[in-house]
Parts: sequence; structure tokens; C-alpha cells
Amino acid sequence: MKKEGMSRRSFLTGAATVGAAAVAAPALLASCSGNGNKLTPLKKEGEYYVPELPDKAIDGPELKVGLIGCGGRGSGAIINLLDAADNIKVVALGDVFEDRLNDVRNRLINERQQEVPQENCFVGFDAYKKVIDAGVDMVILTTPPVFRPEMFKYATEKGVHSFLEKPICVDAKGYRSVMATAKQAQAKGLSVVVGTQRHHERRYVEANKQIQAGMIGEITGGNVYWNQGMLWYRQREAGWTDMEWNIRDWVNWKWLSGDHIIEQHVHNIDVFLWMSGLKPVSATAFGSRQRRVTGDQYDFFSTDFTMENGIHMHSMCRQIDGCSSKVSEFIQGSKGSWDSETNEIKDLQGNVIWKYDDEKAKQEFQVHDPYTLEHVDWVNHIRKGTAHEEATDNAISCMAGIMGREAAYTGQTVTWDEMTQSPQDFLPEKLELGPLDLASMTVPVPGK
Amino acid sequence: MTTRKKYLLTALGGTLFGIVLVLAALYTSNVTSTNESCAACHVHPEAETSWKQSKHYMNQSGVHTDCAACHLPPAGTPHYYWAKVKIGFHDIWMYLTHDKEDFDFESKRTEEYAPNIVFNSSCKKCHANLFPEGITDDGVAAHLYYEENEEKLGLQCVSCHLDAGHFIAGYKHEKMTTAPIDTTGPVYTEPASVTSFSNFTETIPGTRASINMIAVPGGKFTMGSNKGDKFSRPDEYPAHEVTVSPFFMGEVEVTWNQYWAFYVETMSEGRTKPEVIYANNSRPDVDAVSGPTPPFGMPDQGWGMGNRPAITMTHYAAETFCQWLSLKTGRHYRLPTEAEWEYAARGGTDTPYFFEGKPSAYSSEGLWNSIFGTDTTTINRYAIYALNSKNRTQEPSRVAPNPFGLRNMLGNVMEYCQDWYAEDAYEKADASAVDPKGPASGTDYVVRGGCYHDDASELRCAARRHSDYEAWLKTDPQNPKSIWWLSDMKGIGFRVVCDATINP
Repeated sequence: MKKEGMSRRSFLTGAATVGAAAVAAPALLASCSGNGNKLTPLKKEGEYYVPELPDKAIDGPELKVGLIGCGGRGSGAIINLLDAADNIKVVALGDVFEDRLNDVRNRLINERQQEVPQENCFVGFDAYKKVIDAGVDMVILTTPPVFRPEMFKYATEKGVHSFLEKPICVDAKGYRSVMATAKQAQAKGLSVVVGTQRHHERRYVEANKQIQAGMIGEITGGNVYWNQGMLWYRQREAGWTDMEWNIRDWVNWKWLSGDHIIEQHVHNIDVFLWMSGLKPVSATAFGSRQRRVTGDQYDFFSTDFTMENGIHMHSMCRQIDGCSSKVSEFIQGSKGSWDSETNEIKDLQGNVIWKYDDEKAKQEFQVHDPYTLEHVDWVNHIRKGTAHEEATDNAISCMAGIMGREAAYTGQTVTWDEMTQSPQDFLPEKLELGPLDLASMTVPVPGK
Repeated sequence: MTTRKKYLLTALGGTLFGIVLVLAALYTSNVTSTNESCAACHVHPEAETSWKQSKHYMNQSGVHTDCAACHLPPAGTPHYYWAKVKIGFHDIWMYLTHDKEDFDFESKRTEEYAPNIVFNSSCKKCHANLFPEGITDDGVAAHLYYEENEEKLGLQCVSCHLDAGHFIAGYKHEKMTTAPIDTTGPVYTEPASVTSFSNFTETIPGTRASINMIAVPGGKFTMGSNKGDKFSRPDEYPAHEVTVSPFFMGEVEVTWNQYWAFYVETMSEGRTKPEVIYANNSRPDVDAVSGPTPPFGMPDQGWGMGNRPAITMTHYAAETFCQWLSLKTGRHYRLPTEAEWEYAARGGTDTPYFFEGKPSAYSSEGLWNSIFGTDTTTINRYAIYALNSKNRTQEPSRVAPNPFGLRNMLGNVMEYCQDWYAEDAYEKADASAVDPKGPASGTDYVVRGGCYHDDASELRCAARRHSDYEAWLKTDPQNPKSIWWLSDMKGIGFRVVCDATINP
């Protein structure tokens, strides 16, 4: 453990003590400081959502689930769900490509002894309707995100609970659609969980409790990061139509993924919006493309967000090999700061005043994987019959990403009002495995 | 009987009496909240007819929403009982003291008045989900805008859904498909030939539209008001001498016939970015201006087009009209300066109005006039205002001209000037000013002349007002907001002036 951040004045003298004293620290501080400084909560307990995170979902009658989008995340998510709860039956699968669908089907047979009947395996752009209409209670939506709003809408109309892999929208029209559908889902008592799994990761949930209790004071700013090496790509193969190539290479095409500031970095932007409870009012950004091989996306973005109360949040994301990596969130407050990289809260002098107690969690729980725990929470809400939706908050985080992206692409400052009302709509009118106007899919040049 | 028993009996009697009283009050409250009870005094059957044609009666669910559900706060709240008492007394008083013919029911069905009689809290009590299944993308956009700006801009449900409770034929959301352009008469091929400084009729080449222009002789006049002048405001001080050069001015406010001629020749596609339009129109060599995008709904509010003044355009739209007219005719048309406007409105007079009479006699403000009524005989001949407009614009032929021959300088619609507005503009005015043009910059423009729903005090020649971007576009959910059409101001139009240069 790093010690440089801890000054001489720290009353906690060693790393071991930090771990052990973590939970007791706020109480200790309050009683030791002697100046009567009580913490002023940002939100009181009960005023913000804290998920229950048991190792496994409660028992209940059999739930039938469908999976739409049988790629890497889809096959992962369906296994996560089966780990999270008993008495779950996979009854339908959907994808645009038969090979991807069969991969998941075979995996379920081999690893989980669940055989999805052949007549419930649907291939095509309309497969989502067929899966949802196949008598499912719940559906996992893990296609490229541009399709998410329509699928979420259809599932909600049919009264089906949704798991929405992030991001859940990549353009202005998609944002508005999700905002409306989320209200309908809430009204129908549905459970909607989004795959921003930090909301179901204990170290984040516990840090949020401390922040809401006022340990870092009023939030005054933040920095969020997703800097990593190059992401995967696929070169075009003989016999592929434009559409097939685009979808098989989807993380490199902005109309499908929204670009990585949304597709991936929304996780980190979302953490700041979640804990601060603030929306951005404007974004100024830059970004560029240096190394990507396929597609029309950027390699990096750097965005300055002005939030509704006037404070700033800076976000950066990069997908370039050979550079240092950093995936984390940092929030500055008037009395201290929190860093998800170290899971520590420090006061303004640099003393560690709280640290997430990993050892304690390991003793208390068996399951720590947030990808499983988010499904535990999803099933628990369904089995308890309590309405729960995370789509509204996530759509706002996605909209922040959209603002950053558009600010970088255009070189202009982009406002919340302008972007939320924009006619921007990435979904092609005609969905089929055919030609696309690839010539129009060029890398944006700011200032033009 | 023991004292103890007496106490008990009294207590019991009191409790019973209390229960009876409460039950009677509840019964009265319920009985007086039925549609039948409302209709006992509200003897205007068109209200019932339009209600039955509206979505709150005629809908797929077959449920209908009764009078009290919208015209009172949510039942059971303290607001509900207070409003019931207040409105009840008001309605009974009006019923006993007025005739049905005294009321202008049409005027109650406007965005301005409706919030007084429809309770937003009641709308939202039933419509708890503003994003119901089947809502369109436009609907979602508008409702997100509402939720984010409800408090900031004072938005109400009826700001956009005025026809929800009582059907209004042709209410907005019906989109205008083609411009209702006048197709009678010849198409002009040449602009007018003007050989002397006298009245002429401008003929706009390529259209059937013409504009009567009045020759306004130059002169010196006293602009503004003196402190102490009845109804005057600080921005009218001090009164100061101003000289204006001769100019031509439109006899009437620009009409729909004239405005649609401009629109069909210059129309921009919907959602054309403002920057694109500004860039085109400000090119020095522009030969074809970019004009308004299609309006949202029917911009005449269903009042009629033709010779009624065109309304709800922005200042930029009015300026672009002048730019277009100049290109079409080769003469320099523009909006009047504030000084030209006031000089023209006064028509050589130096009284509050260009006609006889005092503001204190014509105004409905003040206790005396509100009880004993106002004098309307003279003002009625010259101006369309609150007491004679039926809450809408009227044809210009309804009024007599001022001494210069100009109609509707006061009333009907307010008119844009080219000057920026500043409250202290007159304090900074040069005493020997010739053709002053107002402040060099600003945020809103001067508008003058009062409009159809104004009190007579707003119609004074010296009264100054200004445009208000935020308020006049508050329900426009687009971003950027329209640069052509106002969503929330109906009483605004403009009139053109032309430089007094004579053809050789």
C-alpha cells in the first residue's frame, strides 16, 4: 500500500490500522476532532438508493429469461444471471448472426445443461420482438447500444423486466426514448437494471455512503478516467455486407457504439453524476484519432463539463497502446476527496480518514463480482415485486457522454438544452444486412 | 338532573351538532361540485358542447372529466376549499349582477387567461406520468422541456394544451400546410414609380401584394413624457425635442397577405440552423434572402388572415421582411426608429393620444373607472384595445386614421422599432438630435403602440415597451429556439418605413 499520501499529522499511523479502523473512522473523527465539527450529510439515509448485495438472489418461482445480443457481453451476462439466482430458465435467444447465437446456445448446453429450443432461437433485426413475445418474464439486452432504446421500449410495453447493458442510448432521440420508457417501466412496477456495475460493487456503494454522509463535505469537482490500450477490431471479410462488417466491428463505428466516450467511459462519468446528483449544463472537449484501424471513431477524448451548480468535472478517455493506463474516478469535496483507485477518502491535509475494508467484505461475503451482484439485485426486485429502474440516471450519464462526444467532434461548446432537444438519430431507417453509406462515415474534423 | 349529566348531555349534543355540521358541509361541497351545479350558473352551453368534443370527454377510455376536476385545485386539499369559497362567491355575484351577454367567453379561452381558471396542480394530479405509452418523440422532447423549465419559466399544462378541456377548432398542433396566400388580382411586374414626396402604393414585383405608403413630412416634436404625466413611466423621461427627416410609412401594420407573399418566396426548411441563415442574409451581395421556417401551428390563432396584421414574428423576421422588400423594389425599406415611430403616431399633436381625451378617462385602472365604467366614445373610433377588441386583432378598416393618415398606430398590435431598448435612452438623448437611432447595443428591441388586449393607458403615444426573448419564447422547446416565430406573444407585428428618396 502506498504511504506517501499520509502526512505526519495523521492520527492513523500505519496501513494495517487504516484497514481495521475504516468503518469506525467517521465516528472517531467526530469525537476526536474536538471542535464540534459534525458531518453535514449531502443526502440522508433513505433518500438515495443503496442496493442490498447478498451473495445470491432470494428463491422464488421459475423466471423465464430471453437474451438479445449473443456477443461477448451477452454470453457473459446470461451466465452471471444463472450464477446470481436459482430457478432461472433461458427460454429464447436472439441475434443478427446465427454463429454468435449458436455459440451461446452451445455454451448453455455444455456449461449449464440448459437447452434453448431451436424454435425459440431467432435470427435477424426483428429477433428482439420474437424473443420478447416468446413468453419471457425478463430479458437481457446486450446488442450494440444504438438498438437499445427500441428494444427497451418494446420489452416495457409487453411488461417484461429488462437488464440493459450500458450504454443505453448513443444519440439524442435515443435519450428521449429511454427517458420516456423508464417512466413507463416505473409505472408498471418493472425492475430495470443497467450494466453500469459500479452501482453494485461494494467498494463503490460503501464509498458513496460515506460521501453522502458528508465525509468529503460539499462536492466541488471531480476527474474521471478510462485510459487503456487499443480495443479490438475486425477487418472486413469476404462475403460480408457493409452492415455485417459494421456490426461485427461495432466498437469502432460511432453510429453503433456512440464512440468509446460513451460505450466505455460512461462508467466513470456515471460515477460522478451518481454521487454528486448533478447534471452537466455544458461540455467543451477535444479529441482525435491517431491509431485506430477500422471505423470512424476517435482514439481519445478530453472533456470539461460544467455542472448545473457551476462546478466542473473533467473526463478523459484514451484507447492507445503504449500509454499509461488509468481507469478510476476522483471526487473533490470541501473537506476531503475520494479516489476509487485507492478506495480511500482523504482530508484536505492528505490524511486517510476512511478506507474501504476489503478484508471485512471477504469474510462477510462469498460473491464479490459486481457483474453477478447486479443480477442478484435485478432478480430480487422482480421476486419481491418492487419497482426499480436505473435507466433514467443512466440515460442522463449517456447524454453527458453524448455532449462530450459532440463537443469534441465539432470543436464547439455543447449545451445540455441544445443536445437533449437535438434531432440527432443514428438508427438507420432500413435495418437489413445490406449496403450502408460508408462514404458518409468519416472521422469528424473539429471546427469544420 | 345532576350537573355532571348536564355536562355530558351538552357535550353529546355538541358532538352530534358538529358531526351534522361537518356532514352538511361535506354534502354541500359535494353537491356544489357536480356538473349540474356548475351549469346552474354557467349558462353558456358552448362550454358544455366544446367539453363534450374534447379529449376529456370524447376519448377511448370512455371516462369523462368533470368541471370541478380541472377548474378547482385537487379535491380535499385546503386550496380546494379556499378556491371553492372564493370562486363560488365570485360566480354567484357575477351571475346576479351581470347578463350573459356581458361576458366575452372567447377571451377566457386564451393562453393568457386560462391559467386563472384551470389549476395546473389538478392537471398533474391525474396526469402523473407525462411520458405515457405511445407518446411521440416530439411529445417526449416537449415534456422533458416542461419538466426542466416548469418552475424557471412558469410553464403550465394549458400553455400547450389549451384545447384539452374544451375543443378549439384549428388549435395549434394542426400544422399549416400551405401559406394561405391571396390569389385574387394581378401579379405585379414592376415596383411603384415614385416621382414626388407624396403617398404611393408600393407594388411588390412577382407577387399580388401591395403596400400603401404614407408620406410623413419631417419636423420637430417633443418626444417622451414629463414627470407627473398620468400613467407615465421613468423610461419616458425626460421629454425632449427631436427632429426627424421626411420618410414614408406603411398606412397599416404589415398584413398577412403581405407577409405570406414574403414567406412563400423565402421560406427556409424546418430546423435550418440559425448560423446558416444569418450568414446568408448578411452577405453584402445577397440576392435571395432566407426567410421564415414553417410556423408551428396556425400563426393567425384562427382569427383570420387577409388584411389583419401579421403577428407572432420575431424582430429578426420583421427585419428580414424589410430586407426582402428592399431587394424586390430597389427602395430602402426598414423598421422605423423609435423617434420616427412616435413622431408618426402623434401626427402633429402633443397630447397623450393623437385624438381627444385623457388616459385617466379611458383607462379601466383605478377604483372610480372600475366601478362607474370608462368613457369609450372617442377612443373606440381610433384604436383596438382591451375594451373593444374581443381579445383579438381586428381588420385595419375598423379604425379611423390619425392626422397623417396612418391607421392603428395605437392598439391592435404592438410594433417593432429598429432601436435597441434602454430604460435610460432619453436621459442620454442629445437635445438637438436629428434622426436619433437609440443605443448602440442592447438585448431587447423597442416595441411601441400597445395591442388589442392592453388597457388604454398603454396606448399613449409616449408609452415605451420592449421585446422579451425569454418570455416570448418560453414554451418553444426547440434548441436553439426559433429565430422566426414567437411561441408566447401574439400582440406583436410591425410596420415598414421607406427612405424618402425619389426616383429621378
